[in-house]
Amino acid sequence: MSAARARVLVCDDELQILRGLKIVLRDAGFDVVAAQSAREALDAAALHPPEAAIIDLVLPDGDGVDVCRQLRSWSQMPIIVLSAIGDEDVKIAALEAGADDYVTKPFSPRELIARLNAVLRRVSSTTDEPTIRVDGLEIDLAARVVRRDGDDVHLTPTEYDLLRILARNRGRLLTHRALLTEVWGPQYADDTQALRTHIANLRRKIEPGGEPRYIRTDARVGYRFVG
Amino acid sequence: MGRRSDSPGLVDAPRLPAAGVLAALLAVAATTLVIYPLRDVAPPVSAGVIYLVAVLLVSTYWGLGPGLLTGLASTFTFNFFHIPPTGGVSIADSSNLVALGVFLVTAAIASRVADIARTRAAEAERRRGEADLAADTARVLLGGATLADALPAAGQLIGAALGLRGAELILDPAQDDDRPGAALDLGGGRQARLVLGAGADDPTLARVSERVVPALEALLRAALERDELQAAVVETQALRRSDVIKTALLRAVSHDLRTPLTSIITAGHAVRSPALTGDERDELGLVVVEEAQRLAALVDKLLDLSKLQAGEAQPRRDWCSVEEVVRTAAAEVAGDDAAGFVLSFDRDLPLVQADAAQLERVFVNVLENARRFSGGHPVKVRARVVGGKMSIRVIDRGPGMSLAHLSRVFEPFYREGAGDAHAGSGLGLAIVRGFVEANGGRVRAESLPGQGTVMAIELSLAEQPSQTTSLERT
Repeated sequence: MSAARARVLVCDDELQILRGLKIVLRDAGFDVVAAQSAREALDAAALHPPEAAIIDLVLPDGDGVDVCRQLRSWSQMPIIVLSAIGDEDVKIAALEAGADDYVTKPFSPRELIARLNAVLRRVSSTTDEPTIRVDGLEIDLAARVVRRDGDDVHLTPTEYDLLRILARNRGRLLTHRALLTEVWGPQYADDTQALRTHIANLRRKIEPGGEPRYIRTDARVGYRFVG
Repeated sequence: MGRRSDSPGLVDAPRLPAAGVLAALLAVAATTLVIYPLRDVAPPVSAGVIYLVAVLLVSTYWGLGPGLLTGLASTFTFNFFHIPPTGGVSIADSSNLVALGVFLVTAAIASRVADIARTRAAEAERRRGEADLAADTARVLLGGATLADALPAAGQLIGAALGLRGAELILDPAQDDDRPGAALDLGGGRQARLVLGAGADDPTLARVSERVVPALEALLRAALERDELQAAVVETQALRRSDVIKTALLRAVSHDLRTPLTSIITAGHAVRSPALTGDERDELGLVVVEEAQRLAALVDKLLDLSKLQAGEAQPRRDWCSVEEVVRTAAAEVAGDDAAGFVLSFDRDLPLVQADAAQLERVFVNVLENARRFSGGHPVKVRARVVGGKMSIRVIDRGPGMSLAHLSRVFEPFYREGAGDAHAGSGLGLAIVRGFVEANGGRVRAESLPGQGTVMAIELSLAEQPSQTTSLERT
């Protein structure tokens, strides 16, 4: 995070939620730009591009998924969607439209801030870093070498590609479909069985003690690389 | 089909022996009368042949006994009237013995042949009767809505076919039912009993258990199976419907409970901020109170709806004033916004018989709904008597609804435009319809897109309480 306070656009039609969020985010070191509709959000973002956006999926004048798509059409800012609907399909649609992550209402503000900081780190780190280092894990993108605690880890090309894509999108929740399309190609977009198998193999090689530490599972939606 | 009642066919009409004897004597007498005048023109033997006709006829129709009797009687009569010396009987003559033998043999053969033919015809007739009965019973048992509905008609049918006063088909009979009849095994532990009315003798019972019971058992099994299938289909449909409702409920709960919860949780975290101004603290306190109230209102609605769906919203109907109820509801919905509703009531509005608490829920929901869509314009409420009914119209100047939405707005969880945050829980109007109908009224929505919406509630006006009663009460 930069020294200057990061500006975050928060769009939710519920004024009551905005009131609390403003204070909580302010305490966490963010400047909040509040919007109560899709149009307000898009206007505010165009006027003063924020560092990140938090968008409710249910808006009076449109769909949060559309807002994600439109923001993503001109900006790489991290987007977190607020979902009140326990419906995986809508979350996946938002992620595929460009959202980085989601939180489900009622969320803990602490959780939201943690996710927000994680996706902001992704943006500050993706500028073609040759090596990604997370705790004991080191991914040398130029040499295509992965080390854990200094020891080389032997990965198959598929496992390496998976890890590279996850790590390059650190903090971001990648849907099954996005990972499958990226690694195997669009014709394999529905083969989640293969994805799970490769993720399991990858975890066995890089996760210390078998506990998922770097690769987190979001059941039915996808995987994210944390750290 | 048409021969059901007039020709039973399953039981034989008994043949009376007395009638056979009478027929034999009459036949002999008639033959004698016919041939007596011929005694001078025809030779006696050829005249005697004519008796054969009588023997044939009697043995064919009345059987061996009367046939033999006719043969004997013919021999004696012929001998008496035609064989010289006439007026006396002598069988000494060998030709007489021959005649007697011929008559008797003829009687025996004719009666035997006729018996066989008669038995076969009767058997064919019985089979036809059984086939007809089976077809008719199948039509009755499988054509009705349920087996239980069809049983009485099937019983009557069987009774009529057996020529009995009545027969009764009983499903799952009592163990100690010892009236004459037959037990039917329907498989799967189910039993039935065919109880035969008065006049059922042993041969009939035997015939029933041999010829009727197997077909009847098969039919009843088929009917039972069909009943079970139907019940299963109905149950599946009901389950599917309740699944749809459950899914919708989960979505509604998901959105409508989580949103205020999020506000409360966020406000709870925010209020602990060290850098809080006094205004902010007040604001956050208000958020918690208002959102908690919103949750409470939603819980009320869910309870109302679940009561209605469980059929437990029995109205406690009493005389109540629509004006009072509507004013109370408007005050509850309006809160501080007194200008939100414009109420107008005709003078001397009659009382309605309804559950006042339920009516209040009706108007709270209708008014909330109207206000949500009125776009800030006041909502008008007009109550008057139209066509002998109490008519209350709630008119908003909102965006209105298309015809497709109008037909569905009263369905639970239906929201116009799922993504519309103004749409509310989708429970309100379902509650409105539930309570209005429980109180014997009707509600419908009228609207044109762009021209606002009218919720028209109609309550029937019972006879008004008499003046004296109302005076006694005050």
